[in-house]
Amino acid sequence: MRALLVLAGLLLLAAGLAPAALGGNGGFAPVTPESPNAERIHDTWIFVSIFIVAIFVLVEVLLVTFIWRYRRQRRERFEDGPQIHGTTSIELMWTVAPVVILFLIGGFVFYKLPGIADVPRASASGEERLVVRVTGRQYYWQYEYPNGAVAIDKLRAPAGVPVRLEVTAPDEDVIHSWWIPALGGKIDAIPGVTNETWFEAKRPGTYDGQCAELCGLEHATMLASVEVLLAAEFAAWLAERGRGRASIELGEEEWRGACAKCHGLGGEGGIAPQITGSPVLADREALEEIVRNGRGEMPAVGSGWSEEQVDALIAYLRESPPSGS
Amino acid sequence: MSRCGPGRRDAASSVASIFCEYERSLRPCLTTSSIRLATGDHSEMSSSAAPRTPGWHRGRVASWLVTTDHKRIGILYIATALAFFVLAGVMAMLMRLQLAQEDVDLLGPDRYNELVTIHGTAMIFLVVVPILAGLGNFLVPLMIGARDVAFPRLNALSYWLFAFGGLVLMLSFFADGGAAKSGWTAYAPLSTQDPGSGQDLWILSIHILTASSLAGAINFIVTIQNMRTRGMSWTRMPLFVWTIYVFAWLLMATLPTLSAGLTMLLLDRGISIGGWEAQTHFFDAAQGGSAVLYQHAFWFFGHPEVYIMALPAFGIISEVIPVFARKPIFGYKAVAFSTVAIGFFSMLLWAHHMFTVGLPNSLNAFFMVTSMAVAVPTGVKIFNWLATLWRGNLIFETPMLFALGFLSIFTIGGLSGIYLAAFPIDWQVHDTYFVVAHLHYVILGGSMFAIFAGLYYWWPKMFGTVLDERIGKWHFWLMFIGFNVTFFPQHMLGLEGMPRRVYTYSNGEWEGYNLTSTIGSWVMGAGLLFFAWNVERTWRKGTRVGNDPWQADTLEWYATSPPPAHNFDEVPYVTSARPLYDLRRRLREKDGYRAHL
Repeated sequence: MRALLVLAGLLLLAAGLAPAALGGNGGFAPVTPESPNAERIHDTWIFVSIFIVAIFVLVEVLLVTFIWRYRRQRRERFEDGPQIHGTTSIELMWTVAPVVILFLIGGFVFYKLPGIADVPRASASGEERLVVRVTGRQYYWQYEYPNGAVAIDKLRAPAGVPVRLEVTAPDEDVIHSWWIPALGGKIDAIPGVTNETWFEAKRPGTYDGQCAELCGLEHATMLASVEVLLAAEFAAWLAERGRGRASIELGEEEWRGACAKCHGLGGEGGIAPQITGSPVLADREALEEIVRNGRGEMPAVGSGWSEEQVDALIAYLRESPPSGS
Repeated sequence: MSRCGPGRRDAASSVASIFCEYERSLRPCLTTSSIRLATGDHSEMSSSAAPRTPGWHRGRVASWLVTTDHKRIGILYIATALAFFVLAGVMAMLMRLQLAQEDVDLLGPDRYNELVTIHGTAMIFLVVVPILAGLGNFLVPLMIGARDVAFPRLNALSYWLFAFGGLVLMLSFFADGGAAKSGWTAYAPLSTQDPGSGQDLWILSIHILTASSLAGAINFIVTIQNMRTRGMSWTRMPLFVWTIYVFAWLLMATLPTLSAGLTMLLLDRGISIGGWEAQTHFFDAAQGGSAVLYQHAFWFFGHPEVYIMALPAFGIISEVIPVFARKPIFGYKAVAFSTVAIGFFSMLLWAHHMFTVGLPNSLNAFFMVTSMAVAVPTGVKIFNWLATLWRGNLIFETPMLFALGFLSIFTIGGLSGIYLAAFPIDWQVHDTYFVVAHLHYVILGGSMFAIFAGLYYWWPKMFGTVLDERIGKWHFWLMFIGFNVTFFPQHMLGLEGMPRRVYTYSNGEWEGYNLTSTIGSWVMGAGLLFFAWNVERTWRKGTRVGNDPWQADTLEWYATSPPPAHNFDEVPYVTSARPLYDLRRRLREKDGYRAHL
C-alpha cells in the first residue's frame, strides 16, 4: 500500500515536472531556443528525456518497492532469503533493452545532427548568410564583420539571417568557449584553430551568454551578448561602424571589455591596479605600447588591434576619462 | 592476540576444527575491553617471528612508520585520505559560500581558482583513489586468503609516495604565486602561461602520485594473479577483488599517458637547471604546437580515471548488498564480466570530454557511441543489484543504507551521463553546472557513498569494534539529503546557462538554486561531523564484536578481528564465491549451529 502511495507520488512529481521541462524554464530543459540549431538540440533533449525519465522512474520505483516489500519485519536477523543465483533470460533482457534504447537515441541524434551542425548558406527567404569572425581573448570577445567593422562583447546581428561565426583565439592567448544558450551550443575558441558555429535568430532581442572554458582570473566576467536587430537597423549600424572613423562607441566597448574588467569601470582598480588619473590614459603612444604588448601580469589585450581601434579607445578616454568610481 | 577464547589447534587441522574455530569466532569477544588498533599486537608478533627486528621498530609510532603489513598500510591510506577529505571538503564549502549569492566578495578570483583546482585534484588523487586503494590493500589479501600482498615493501613505498605527493599539493598554496589556478584538468595554454610555481608543484605532485599508483597497481595485479588460496578460481573471487583487479589494470594502462602529457606541460612551462634553460612548444600555437593535443593526453587518462574511482565502489556495493539482503549476488558472472567490459570501454571514450573543441562530427559520433556502450554494462550492474534485493531479507544497518543511497543516487548520475554522451546536447551543457552536478552524482554520491558503506561494513574487521548505528543513521540521512539538496539544483543552473569554474555571477535568476545548493553543502558538512563523532566515540568506547558480525560470505570474515599479522592460521578450502556461507551451511547440517544466531 505504502509502495503504491510512493509510486503515485513519484508519478505526480513527474507529471508536475513535465510541463516545466516542455516549457523550457526553471532549468528542466535548455533555455528557450531562439534559433533553429538550438531548437533541434532542444528537441533532442526532450526525446532523450523521455527514456531517461522512464528509466529513472523504473529504477527508483523498483528500489523503493523492494526496500518496503522485502524489509526484515519479524523475520530473524540472519535468516537467509531464497538462494537465487541469477536468471540468464532476465539478465539478457536488461542487457538488450538498453542497447535498443541507445540505438533509438543515437538514431535521433544523427537525424537531427545536420540541422544542428551544418551552417545554412542562406535563409529560407533567400537572404545570404553573414560571416562574423569571433575572437576570444582574455577577457573579452572581439567581433569582425566583412566590411571591417569591429565590436567588443556585444555582437549585433540581423534577425532572420543565418550568421556563420568563425571562432578562434589569438596564438598567444588561451582557450575560451563561445556560448549563447538561446542560440545554440558552445564551441571552443582555441589558439591556432578556427572553429565554426552559427545561429539564425528568429526575432529581435538580446541574448546573453558567457565564456564557458576557464580562461584565467576574470573568466567569470567574460560575458557575451547577441543583440538581434531588424535587418534594416542592423544594416545601418554596420555601415556606421564600418566607416573606419575612431568611433566613441567602439572606444567605450573596448574600455568596458578590455580594460574595466580588471581595472574597474571607473579605473578604480580591481584585480589590477587603480588607473584613474594615470597619465598613460591620455598619452597615445604610451597607451598603445602597453595595450599592444602588455606589461608584467597584464596580458597584451590589444595585440593585433587596428589603428582605428586604438584611436577609438583614445577618443573615448578623452571624451569621458575614468572618474574613479 | 585478539583471538576469542583459548582454543589453539594443531597445525594439521581437520575440517571439523575449522568449523569449531569459525563457530567460536562468531561470538563477540568480551574479554578485551580496550579497543586495539588493527594488528595492534603486530609488533610483538613480528618480533617473535623475526627476532632480529631492531627494537625501535616496535614503538607505538615507529611501528606504523616502518610497517610493511598490508593491513596497517591500508589503514594509513584511509586515515591520510580522510584527512585530505576534510581539507578538500572545507575548500568546497568555501566555494559554495562564495557562490551563495550574486556578486559575493568573499574569495577573490585568484583564491577561488586555486580552490577549484586543488579541491578537484585533491578529491580525485588524494581522497577517492587512495581510500579505494587503502580498502583494497586491507582487503585483497584477506579476501583471497593470502598472508600479505606480493611486494610488501613496494606497498609501503606506494603509501609514502602518496602521503608526500599529497603534502606537496597542499603546501603549494604557500608557493610563490599561490597554488595552481587552471582547474584539475590544467588545460594548456592557460596552465603553461601561469608564471607562479604552484602549477609546477601541481605537476610534481601528480607525478609522485602517479608513481605511487603504478607501484600499487603492480602489487594488486601480481597479488591477485598469484596468491589466491586453494580453491579460489577466478569465478570464486569476491567481486570487490574483481573490481580492484580491473582498477589496477586501468591505472597501469592510462597513467603513463598522463605522465607523458604532464611532462610535456612541464617542459612547455620551461625548466632551468643550473644555468641551463630549456623550453618546448608542444602546446603553443604560436610555435606550431597544438593546445588540443594536451586534452587528448589528459583525457585518455582522465576518463578511465572516472572508472578507476567507480569500479571498486561497485565492488563494495556488490559485497554489501548480498550480505544485508541475505542472498547471493544476482548473476555473479554478469557483475564480474561487466566490470571488465566497463574497464575496456572506458579507454575508448576519452574525447567525449572534448565535444566542443571542434573535432569532426564523424569522430564525435564515434565517441558518442562508445560512451553510450559503457552505459550497457553499467545498467547490467544496477539491475543485478536490484534483483539481489528482490525477495531478500533486507536489514537496514548503516552499510546497507549507504549502499541503497548509492543505488538511488548513482542511477541519476549515470542517466545524466546519457545527455552528455549525445554530443549536440553536450554542446549545450558542456562545461556548465550540469556537468558539475553529473560528476558529483557519480563521484561523491557514487564512489564516496560506496566508500562510506565500505567503512561502516569493514570497520569491525579493521578494529574489532562496530561503529555506532544511531550516529551512523544520522550521518547517512544528513549526507543523503544534503547531497541531493546541494547537487540536484546544479543541473538546473547548468541548463540555465551558468558555466562551471566561475568565481561569481551577476544573474539574479541563478541565485535561488545557488543558495539552495550552498545550504545543502552545509547539511552535508554536518553529516560528516557526525561521522567524525562516530569514529571518535567508537575509538574510545566501541562495542567489541565477533569476527563475523554481519554473517558475511567472504574470507576476510574468517580471520580474527582485527586479523593477526599473518592474517590466517589456516584458510578453509574455497568451494564457491561464498566460502563462509558454505561453512555456515555445513555447520547447520552438522548440529545446533542455529542456537548461536
